[in-house]
Parts: sequence; structure tokens; C-alpha cells
Amino acid sequence: MRYFLSRVGQAAVIIFGIMLAVFVLLRLTAGDPARIKGQIFSSNEVIEEYRRQFGTDRGIFQQLSTFLVGLTQGSLGDSFRFQQPVTDIVLPALQNTLFLGLSALLLSLVFAVVLGTLSARTPGGWIAKLSTGVAIIGQSAPLFWVGLILISVFSVQLGWLPSGGFTSWNSLVLPSLALALTILPAQMRVLTASVRAEMTEDYVRTARAFGIKRWRIYFVHILRNASLPLLTVVGNDMGILLGGAIVAEVVFNFPGIGSLALTALTARDYPLVQGITIVAASTFVLVNLFVDLAYTLINPRVRVGGQA
Amino acid sequence: MKQPEKGNALLTVSATAFALLLMVAFVGPFFLVDPIQQDLRHVLEPPLSPNHLLGTDALGRDVLSRLVSGARISLLVALVGMMGSILLGTIFGFTSGTKFKPLAWLSDRLIDMQMAFPYVLLAIVIVAAVGPSIPVLIVLMILAGWPSAARVTRSIVLGERAKDYVRAAELVGANQLRILTRYIGPTVVPAILVIAPLQAAAMIVMEATLSFLGLGVQPPTPSWGGILLEGKPYLRDAWWLTTLPGLTIALTCAVLIGLGQGISAKLTGNRRRRVDVLRDPLQGEDSGEKIQPSQEKGHPGRSVERK
Repeated sequence: MRYFLSRVGQAAVIIFGIMLAVFVLLRLTAGDPARIKGQIFSSNEVIEEYRRQFGTDRGIFQQLSTFLVGLTQGSLGDSFRFQQPVTDIVLPALQNTLFLGLSALLLSLVFAVVLGTLSARTPGGWIAKLSTGVAIIGQSAPLFWVGLILISVFSVQLGWLPSGGFTSWNSLVLPSLALALTILPAQMRVLTASVRAEMTEDYVRTARAFGIKRWRIYFVHILRNASLPLLTVVGNDMGILLGGAIVAEVVFNFPGIGSLALTALTARDYPLVQGITIVAASTFVLVNLFVDLAYTLINPRVRVGGQA
Repeated sequence: MKQPEKGNALLTVSATAFALLLMVAFVGPFFLVDPIQQDLRHVLEPPLSPNHLLGTDALGRDVLSRLVSGARISLLVALVGMMGSILLGTIFGFTSGTKFKPLAWLSDRLIDMQMAFPYVLLAIVIVAAVGPSIPVLIVLMILAGWPSAARVTRSIVLGERAKDYVRAAELVGANQLRILTRYIGPTVVPAILVIAPLQAAAMIVMEATLSFLGLGVQPPTPSWGGILLEGKPYLRDAWWLTTLPGLTIALTCAVLIGLGQGISAKLTGNRRRRVDVLRDPLQGEDSGEKIQPSQEKGHPGRSVERK
């Protein structure tokens, strides 16, 4: 319980730190959004008016306090560009990004379990070779390039799947596939190694002596024991997934926080950039926290030895 | 007759390939047409057309020339980023290995935080703040890359700390700085030699990704990611604009990963010393830890127990 509380506290401190850092960094260095909003030859009065409207005419500490007060009411300010509360724009986008990340994670887990287990069973077999090939591609080919190749094969040449946007569940297939490929190699390698280690355990021999079917031994008995290391990898994958989702969104024109962030960046819409970064980073910290806590629940050994 | 060592062939092939690549990147541009010279009469010509071996892009610029001159930028940025991140990472790795606990703790937490934070997000904030440019790109790459180098160094330093020669040095009264630099320092070198090419491969992918997002090298300066970005709208009509730079990136990374494996194999063969840092450069070096589930998860940096 103490562990639980200290982890939650740590996460809260990190989120707050990120908020402050992002706010100060953007306010200190960013250009003047009023100048961008106004026409090139706008008079100073117009610019001043925009500044008042955006609140950028006041000192940084005043702006910070307004921001923090807004935060307690669940507001991240208004977007300069869309003239809407930032949360109204960011949350739907975040939802799409989470969909994408989750489906990529599921996809890669399915592949990792099937390919990893089968290639542990027969090292050197064709499945093992196929897995090595997939792992090499996943490690050296950049995500955005894989994405572009997938688009040109499956939507331009074959016309099977949409090339971008998020109109139906079909739109999720290609981006998740590209994203899954980036986290698959590590998962597969770890699972193969741990399945191979479990294979020689006594309980496997016993199960076999009992006449339990092979696939059942592999995918039920061994997998349950072999999946703990995999969980650690999945925890480490969160950062790659979020970063990768941003890239994949740009490649596939997928309406998530990544493409939104780039739009906001080109429009110099600082409240929006700030809101996106804060929401994304907090989501990330929370997901990590969740993974850590889940891990202690599943693996009692961590709970006991965790203070080391 | 000396038995040819395993891994030497890999080392020779990948080192030759890399040297060739460097030569093409830095000498090649002098023999090719200007990569930003537009020619609107010859746009989107496919590869193997006259005068343009790899075709032209939407502005009639020569793709081969752009790839070669992009190689110069991409490799330069990647190599500088690699050196910077390894330098910073080594410093933090040693800091984590000091006896002074608060400093080591702080360094550990910084490594964990930076390791976990997605670099694309960091890039978006920083570029939003100061605008995209090549120096900013290099800083971003160093920021994104140092934790992996730091963790490798850290685990070696902590491992060496417990050994008798360090204890002996402590007993004789050598100060901590001397122990870290003169005694433990040299033991880190082989591992750094191995991770350097892997780090460079990660940097190349990173540069390409950031440039592809428009956060890195800016047009008209050609870089591999930038060429891909400019080729994206022509996916349907001009496959070579995206396929070729992507293939170049993938091959370069494969060569660099091969180089890392070759160096590792050579070092292991020569010294019977296990340089076990051959993991993927972007995804952490702690697979050894992952296989033993008894290690705690919350602090991925702590794969080696502190004595």
C-alpha cells in the first residue's frame, strides 16, 4: 500500500512538473501569436486587441496563475486558432490515438505470442526464420516508411483498405499494423527466450505425462509462466507506442493528437500545443503507473523484493 | 594457420560498406548535379531515365543527387548526435555509479524519466518553442539518445565497483574521481565501441522521423526524411520518391547494426569478455533483466544491484 501511494504521488509530481516546464518553455520562447493571427500590415491597435483577447499582454506569472486556476476547473485554456476550449479539441483526438495505440498493442501481442511460442518450439524452423525476418524489418525500417509502403501496396495498388483518415474500423488496420511492427521485435525475442526457458521445467514434463495436448501445454501452461517478462517489455513499449502513434497518425492522416499537434505547431497555436503535450504526457505517465501497479499485482515477487 | 574468428567477416563487410557510404556521402556531391536545381520540364521521371539514374521528383530535381547529398546531412547529424549522446550518457552513467547517493539517485531518476518520455513529444514542444533548425535537431537527438548510453555505462560501473581491484584502490586511499576515471573508466570502452554504431543507427532513424514530421532538417536542404516527406503526396504516381530513401535508411541501419555486432563478436572473441549490450538501440538494454521476472519493474534503470 505504501508502494502504491508513493507511486501515485510520484506520478502526480511528474505530471505537475511537465505542465510547468511546458508552460514556461512555450511562454518564454514562443513568438507572438497575435502577430501571426493578425494580417501582416495590421495596425498596432489590432495586434493589441488580439493580445488582450489571448491574454498574452500580461506578465508571465499572471498568465501562469490564470492557467493554474483554469486547470483546477478542468480547463486548459482556449485555442487561438479554433476559438474553442482546448479540451474540446484534444480529448476526442486523444481517444482516437488511444484506439490506435491499443489496437497496435493487441495486434503485436497476438503476433508475438503466436510467432514467439512457435519459434521457441522449433528453433530453426520456417516460423523461426520468418520471425527473425520480421524482427529485422521491424528494427531497421523506420515506421513512417513502413506506413507509406503499406499504403502504396494495400490501398493504392490493391485498393483493399483506406489509405488514411478515421472513417471506419478498416481505417485502423494499416496504422496499427505499422505501429505494431515497431514493438513486435522486442516482445517476440523476450517471449521466445522465456518460453524456451520454461520448456524444460518439470511441470511441462508432468503435463505431457498426463497426456495434455501439446498446443494446450504451450498456449496455456507455458504461456502463463512465460508471459511475465513480456509484461515488462509491454511496460517499456508505452513510450514507443505513444511516440510512434504520433508518427503513424501523420503518415495515415489519422485524426489523433499527433496530427493535431503538428497542425497546432504550424499555426503557432500555443495553448493547443501546450494542451496536447500536457494531456499526452499525463496519459503516458498514468499508463506507466497503471502498468507498474498491474505488474505488482500479478507478480508477487516484485511486491516482496520491490524495495531493493 | 590462425582460425578466422567468427564475426570478423561481418565486421569486415559492414565496416567496408560503411566506409563506402561515408565516402559517397562526402565526396559524391562533387560529382553530381546540384540537388536543389529544379528542372520543370523533366518532373517525376521514373528511375533509369536518361540523365537521371534514379529519376526526378515533382520539381525535376535529380533523386540520386538528392539522396547522396541527403546522406551527407543525415550522416553528419547522426554522427554528431551519436557522439554527443554517448558523451552525455557516459557522464550520467558514471554519475549514477558514484558513491555519493543523492547524486546517483538524481541521475537514476533523470535516466528513467528521459528514457520513458517519447522523444517525438519532446521534439514537438521544443520545436514549438525555438523553431526547427539543424542545431536544434542535434540537441533533440542528444536528448533522446543519452539515456540508453547512460544505462549501459551505469550497469558496467556498478558491476566493476564490487570487484576487488576497486576495493583495493579504495583501501589504498585513491579518491573517488580517480577510481572512476582511471580505474573503472577503461572498462567501459569496449561497450561504448559496441553501442556507438547501434546508437548511430537509432540516430539515423530519429533524424529521418523528425525531418519527415517537418521538425528536423528544413527544405530545400535535402535529408532522407525530408525527401520522404516531399515524396508522400506522390505515392500513387511516383513510387521511387518514397521507396528509394526508405530503402537507403533501412540499408544504412542494417549496415550499422552489423557493424555493432561485428565489433561485439570481435571483442568477445579476443578478450573472452562478454559485451552484452547488443539490444536494439531504441528499445532499452535490459532484456537480460526482462528474462528474470524477479527483478523489480518500477525502476528499469536498476538492473544491477547496488552493493
